[in-house]
Amino acid sequence: MIKVNNLSFTYPRASSPVLQNLNFEISEGEIFGFLGPSGAGKSTTQKILYKILHNFTGEIHIKDKPLGQWGKEYFEQIGVGFELPNHYLKLTGKENLALFASFYNKNRLLKVTDLFEMVGLQDSIHKKVETYSKGMKMRLNFIRAIMNDPDILFFDEPTAGLDPVNGHKIKEYIVNLKNQGKTIFITTHDMTTADEICDRVAFIVDGKLRVTEAPSTLKFRHGENQVKVEAKGKQPAKFPLEHLGQNAGFLEFISTNELLRINTMEATLEEVFIQVTGKALKA
Amino acid sequence: MKQLLKVSTADFKLIFRDPSLRIFLFLPALIFLVINIFLPYLISKFEGVNEYVSYVLIVATIENTQMFGFIYSMVLIEEKETEVARVYGVLPVSKMWFVLFRLIIPCLITALLTWAILLIQPFYSLAIMPSLVFSILSGLIVPVYVLGITVLSRNKMQGMIWIKIFNIAVVLPIVAFFVPDSFTHVFGILPSHWAFQGLSDIIDGGSFFVNAIIGFAYFLILLTVAVRKFSKIHFV
Ligand SMILES: Nc1ncnc2c1ncn2[C@@H]1O[C@H](COP(=O)(O)OP(=O)(O)OP(=O)(O)O)[C@@H](O)[C@H]1O
Ligand SMILES: [Mg+2]
Repeated sequence: MIKVNNLSFTYPRASSPVLQNLNFEISEGEIFGFLGPSGAGKSTTQKILYKILHNFTGEIHIKDKPLGQWGKEYFEQIGVGFELPNHYLKLTGKENLALFASFYNKNRLLKVTDLFEMVGLQDSIHKKVETYSKGMKMRLNFIRAIMNDPDILFFDEPTAGLDPVNGHKIKEYIVNLKNQGKTIFITTHDMTTADEICDRVAFIVDGKLRVTEAPSTLKFRHGENQVKVEAKGKQPAKFPLEHLGQNAGFLEFISTNELLRINTMEATLEEVFIQVTGKALKA
Repeated sequence: MKQLLKVSTADFKLIFRDPSLRIFLFLPALIFLVINIFLPYLISKFEGVNEYVSYVLIVATIENTQMFGFIYSMVLIEEKETEVARVYGVLPVSKMWFVLFRLIIPCLITALLTWAILLIQPFYSLAIMPSLVFSILSGLIVPVYVLGITVLSRNKMQGMIWIKIFNIAVVLPIVAFFVPDSFTHVFGILPSHWAFQGLSDIIDGGSFFVNAIIGFAYFLILLTVAVRKFSKIHFV
């Protein structure tokens, strides 16, 4: 769906490139995540993909067509969820959406009232956006991004600055979109989000990509292949995962003790990130 | 066409819901009052004011462009500051087309109001068609002015400063009428100069063809430059 080869980019008047030789592919129906600290180049990459920044080097293909050959019809096919809420504060939620909706082909437009209902904003549909909370504004961002029923979606930090409840809702909606077959590219510096919803993540630091892999694979590869068992009144014990069912020590431990907890010793995505890039995510 | 109406409707909702913008809609009414009531009154009291009437009329028509000049500059700067402008950047619409179309309505209303100011005043009976052409020319000040200010300003504070500067620059060519003839067209660097001279021709009952041509050419070149520059930075 999206194919990027040797993408490099330098901002006008900047001395050094912000993106250097990025290579990645996103397949249809996949949630792909860019994970990296602030200033790594995540938003820049997305802006190039949704054709706001030009003059990059390298090749980008969207649906097998070079990005440069797409005209304004490209925007019928994509949806963009911006990093920060951006709405006309003096207009109501409905007025905001209806205004932008008028630019799209009518055939694929989703119904505005359905969209508000979907994210639980139906009671605020006729209220001015200046009365919305941050979480409500971000949900409005979200439905604006999907109202033209696009095949490809870009979400820049979709959960940043949201409380856990709203953050969780947004993540659910994104997974729902994936289940409808949409191709989704998100950026985040939040490990948990990446871990929970991304099929594959790429680590980006200082404009360079390090690894691109499924989160579970990364956690497994960089963790210890052991389980840690904790029991009442006992030191925690570790047993190798391999042939665990035939491990006499393990079997005895679990049958003779009052168990509190059993965990696999896979690394967290955060630990993997630090191991791979030598950097912490929270800069 | 339908989109143009939708966008303009939204723009006018934004204007009507913001008291600091709404108040500016009274500017043309104020200009009408000054021209039709205050100025005749002044003349009845002080004979000497008579010789300045044409200049007052010229300045009044140009000041009329400042209503939408100010209002739309503020709407666009606010839209950029709040990053709503970025949303237009990812809509299936040509950016340049969008910019031009959006400013058509304020440009047209300004031209019509200017025309009305010229036709409804007690001092001269001005030729109808030349007055219309002049009104369209002065209407072009609005998009050039708005785009210029928005391109130069990062936020409303800077916007206010540029609005002041542009406001002076628009009115300054009135000085051309008070300097020796050989210096008159020094003010030609300021585009409104050609509108001023054109209206002066019309008031004198002469042909304003040359000034109109230069004026239109100048404004269209500035408009082209402004639209290009604006579409490059507004939506990013
Ligand atoms: N318009 C611009 N002009 C010049 N440099 C810029 C511009 N926008 C961003 N940069 C620089 O490019 C680099 C990458 O920025 P980008 O916004 O892509 O980072 P990011 O990974 O999205 O960070 P964050 O997590 O903070 O959103 C940063 O060093 C930033 O300072
Ligand atoms: Mg960013």
